[in-house]
Amino acid sequence: MTFLTVDNVTKRFGGLVALNAIGFSVAQGEIVGIIGPNGAGKTTLFGVISGFITPSEGEVSYDGHSILGISPDRLVWRGLMRSFQIVQSFADMTALDVVTTAALTRRPMREAIDYAAAALLRVGLGGKELKMPLTLSLQDKKLLELAKCIATDPRCILLDEVMAGLTMSETAAPIAVIQELNRQGVTIVMVEHVMPVIMRLATRIVVINFGEKIAEGTPEEILKDQRVIDAYFGDHIDA
Amino acid sequence: MKQEFYDTLSSPILWGVLLLAALLPFALSSYYLHIVTLALVYVALASSWNIVGGMAGQVSLAHSLFIGIGAMLSSALLLKLGINMWLGLVISAVISGVLGAMIAWIDFRFQLGHLSFVLITLAFAEMGAIVVEGWEFLGGASGMLLPKDTGDFLAFQFGGGSGSFWVMLTLAAVCVLVNVAILNAPLGFYLRTIRDNEKAAQAIGVNVLRYKITAMVISAVLASVVGTAYVRYLTFADPYLLISPVITIEIVLFATVGGLGRAYGPALGALLLVPLGEVLRGKLGSALPGLHYFIYGVVVIAVILATPRGLLPLFERQWERWRRS
Repeated sequence: MTFLTVDNVTKRFGGLVALNAIGFSVAQGEIVGIIGPNGAGKTTLFGVISGFITPSEGEVSYDGHSILGISPDRLVWRGLMRSFQIVQSFADMTALDVVTTAALTRRPMREAIDYAAAALLRVGLGGKELKMPLTLSLQDKKLLELAKCIATDPRCILLDEVMAGLTMSETAAPIAVIQELNRQGVTIVMVEHVMPVIMRLATRIVVINFGEKIAEGTPEEILKDQRVIDAYFGDHIDA
Repeated sequence: MKQEFYDTLSSPILWGVLLLAALLPFALSSYYLHIVTLALVYVALASSWNIVGGMAGQVSLAHSLFIGIGAMLSSALLLKLGINMWLGLVISAVISGVLGAMIAWIDFRFQLGHLSFVLITLAFAEMGAIVVEGWEFLGGASGMLLPKDTGDFLAFQFGGGSGSFWVMLTLAAVCVLVNVAILNAPLGFYLRTIRDNEKAAQAIGVNVLRYKITAMVISAVLASVVGTAYVRYLTFADPYLLISPVITIEIVLFATVGGLGRAYGPALGALLLVPLGEVLRGKLGSALPGLHYFIYGVVVIAVILATPRGLLPLFERQWERWRRS
């Protein structure tokens, strides 16, 4: 049973084709990784799925319905939540305020504050509730993105490079949170550059290059795929 | 609603301050009472503007339009059509609210961005001024004189002096408390995320259009109501005062000096700057015309340079330091 389907999506920015007839589907409860070299179109793809970018052609459906033209905030209501690669922070709000706003999606004010505090605790940001997001370390900012996701009670989350810029030991906390969310039935689609992380977490991987899907399969299959090695890993395998 | 709001409502400090303020007419001469009344008008206006300009970060210059509608339309309805000013107040407030919603919608629909929003709202304000000055029904360029204030409450008359002062005190308190309420309600959280980052706000489920409209409507309705009360206090519906963009500039200035986006910031700014301006004008206006504007400007620049986020954060820090020691 497919939960999220991207069907033949093309996005052109003027003459530039950012996405070219991309299609794949995600089943409920899966963790699907999306990889590809820089500029491959991963973030654009997330923009399309989460309602921020209207595709030039194609169809995106979620939970059995087309979601094209539905605004991002409505999608959050329906359980489709995304994080941003470039951490989006709010200048004059504490970490707790930001996560509380996310929690207000489904909860009244008083409950939302407690729920937000619990979400911060869960991702390992306990004690940093009253910090300004801008003053947090990169790792903590990424954890805050995760806390925002959790607080909206999502059914499907799109994680855009949550691990980028973190050391291997720093990835432990977000990995644990993602695995726990997944065990609770949350479907996860993640764009990631950190290969060991995605190889470990994802049940299936979609590889994109120059806006086109060049491979799809289990992590093992992807590692052996010559097209992927050529397009993406190249030097990494030799090194 | 967060507990803080109920704490504020039941705070003895709040009611103590209001009670003491309510006794001011018995202590002040009519000149100083006028200055304090004027300050309260601006407390109410700056606080109502703060909902859009401070919390949602949308520098609206359309507020003279709402104040002007509240003042000029309710006066015209009374003088030309004999409509009771209470009803005029409601009609003006509704029209202001609708116009506010329209401006917010245009802003969202065309994704104006900050600078364009400022200019569009200014254009609306100017159009309002042109309509008023050119349309005899609204008093034209010469304005309208309201009937003498005999203190007939049912005719929206408060007797001037202390009666008008109490009305303004009530309005100012209501506007500030609406600020407190919004900041402690989901709306306040939504507006603050919209101010800081609209895209990220949407990504955590905030319906940007709905809350921009809500903020603008609340703000416009409050400004309009204050406009009606203000014109009744002045008795003369002067288009060059009440529907001129200058009044918006003053409001923005007071809110900025006091502390944008804070519940008490704009009130603080108005309470300090209106009396300062009036006293300077009284003392220096005749000696060296224009000097009071100069001094006033220097004070404002100094404050903004010294504490860019306004006086309120500065006071809060001092208070914290004093409490700890």
